[in-house]
Amino acid sequence: MEMLHYDFMQRAFFAGALIALIASVLGVYLLLRRQALMADMLSHVSLAGIAAGALLHWNPTATGFAVALAGSVAVEWVRRTYKTYSEISIAIIMIGGLSSAAILMSRSNALNKSFSSYLFGSVVAVNRTELILMAAAAAVGAVFFLLLRRPLYQLTFDEDTAKTAGLPVKWLSMGFSVLTGMIVSAAMPIVGVLLVSSLIVLPASLAIRIAPSFAAAVWIAMTVALGGVFAGLTASYAFSMPPGASIAMTLLLILLAGIGAQKAFVKLGKRIHRPRDRSEKESPSRIPRLSNKYSYMQSGGEEK
Amino acid sequence: MRTAESAFVRLFIKCKIYEYMERILDGLGGRLRKSAIVTGAHTVRSRLRMMQKVEVKQVQLATMREVMFGYADVPCLEDVTVDIRFGEFVAVTGPNGAAKTTLLKLMLGLLRPWSGEVRLAAKGTDGRKLVVGYVPQQIAAFNSGFPSKVLEFVLSGRFAQGSWLRRLRAEDREQAERALRQVGMWEWRNRRIGELSGGQKQRICIARVLAMEPDLLVLDEPTTGMDKDSRLGFYELMSRQVREHGRTVVMVTHGLAEAAPYLDRVIELRRKEDGGWKCCTTTSCRGHFSPAL
Repeated sequence: MEMLHYDFMQRAFFAGALIALIASVLGVYLLLRRQALMADMLSHVSLAGIAAGALLHWNPTATGFAVALAGSVAVEWVRRTYKTYSEISIAIIMIGGLSSAAILMSRSNALNKSFSSYLFGSVVAVNRTELILMAAAAAVGAVFFLLLRRPLYQLTFDEDTAKTAGLPVKWLSMGFSVLTGMIVSAAMPIVGVLLVSSLIVLPASLAIRIAPSFAAAVWIAMTVALGGVFAGLTASYAFSMPPGASIAMTLLLILLAGIGAQKAFVKLGKRIHRPRDRSEKESPSRIPRLSNKYSYMQSGGEEK
Repeated sequence: MRTAESAFVRLFIKCKIYEYMERILDGLGGRLRKSAIVTGAHTVRSRLRMMQKVEVKQVQLATMREVMFGYADVPCLEDVTVDIRFGEFVAVTGPNGAAKTTLLKLMLGLLRPWSGEVRLAAKGTDGRKLVVGYVPQQIAAFNSGFPSKVLEFVLSGRFAQGSWLRRLRAEDREQAERALRQVGMWEWRNRRIGELSGGQKQRICIARVLAMEPDLLVLDEPTTGMDKDSRLGFYELMSRQVREHGRTVVMVTHGLAEAAPYLDRVIELRRKEDGGWKCCTTTSCRGHFSPAL
């Protein structure tokens, strides 16, 4: 545990834990809403914002944050207008964001060197402002997911039924998008474009596969992400690998191991539970008839 | 066409009459309430309340007036005028592509009509906010392996009531259990919803809206994927919701022959001469089923 004696490793672990916890929860909802690409897209757009901020000599972190928020509102608006084409629009905005980021960054000498650090992250070089911003975004996210967990469950399941059940779907959906933009743009300078999407997508996709219930999916995703970040950081320290890439690789390995374990478990379960399953299948599974009161209706009302 | 017009005129007059009656009752109510204190005539007040209750019952739950709607530049629904009253069991029928689902979505306010008027009552018969339970035809979340247990899913129907943060009470669990038993899925409560068959998914969706204790149940082809016994059980269940709990059921169905004995009314979508779809209402003659008798 000597690595925790270093100041920068402490901050890296703290930032990594914050991002892991909030991004994985966000990922469960994003994946189920079929918006997994959205986080990726927002991180690219945020990158363009950072580049523009550096060029205009504004605070790059702030401009990246603002641009990502604007992007999330834009995506939500596009999604509402063209429901079926949301993936295409996300891809288009993503290309726009990345290309303009690359062009803007080549213009400004100040940032040109750290372009790759924005892509692959610099979690061990996280500074104080970024850490505070991340903590604030994580806190807002935690409150959001905690207070709105029931409406979000209904919304994630199906928007139409959520709307007819009386939920303010538009506001919830917009709030969710804005929150996504916030978390992504706060996390992006710390862990990089690559790691933001892997932290959002990988733990959630494993959790959705293996979780027995929705609440369990959220907890599993958080655990997996936290474990992946800690293991990845430790590995990067021990074998002096780039931290972002080693975290992403660890998460990928966990995902593969999890899926493999699940498949093995199912096979094992089949062998053990074969008799029980059969008896379950034989249990009646139809809507029970209420009473004989209605039976006369089938016979034309004679028995009245 | 003429008959439809005259029916509309009659309805309009009826509505006007109700409106006046309501006003008079309101005025009367104010005066009677004052006098009730003097005379201590509780009976007057309760009778008034009864009269008002009857009044509420007569009011339309949903009205659509000359609604026109289309997805592209061509309208797919035209001249739709539909009334749904409280406490009715109504079926919507018509051939494929007759915009039945669209009609439901318009009624629920999920789609906005090009022209015309759609109104859904704001309050239920008990004076509280109208609770609507909607079972769509397909739910995308089922395909993507939504991670949820059956019981957890049905319990989410209870979220519609009260605050978003309230603690779920024993009553909520009882309602969820009853709803699951009503559709015959209680044994499957701990399964993941992704493992169920199509008909079973349909039924847990129905259980979820039953757990909501809704004033209005809107079901889009709820019996697809059900076997015959389940279908009949389902019609009985809905019929009981209407007769005993005073709920209103609107469902899209193709199996009109089977459902007919339970229905109050059938709304049929027919092709117009120029290609669009219009709406005809036929009232089935099931006198002994009207709730007043």
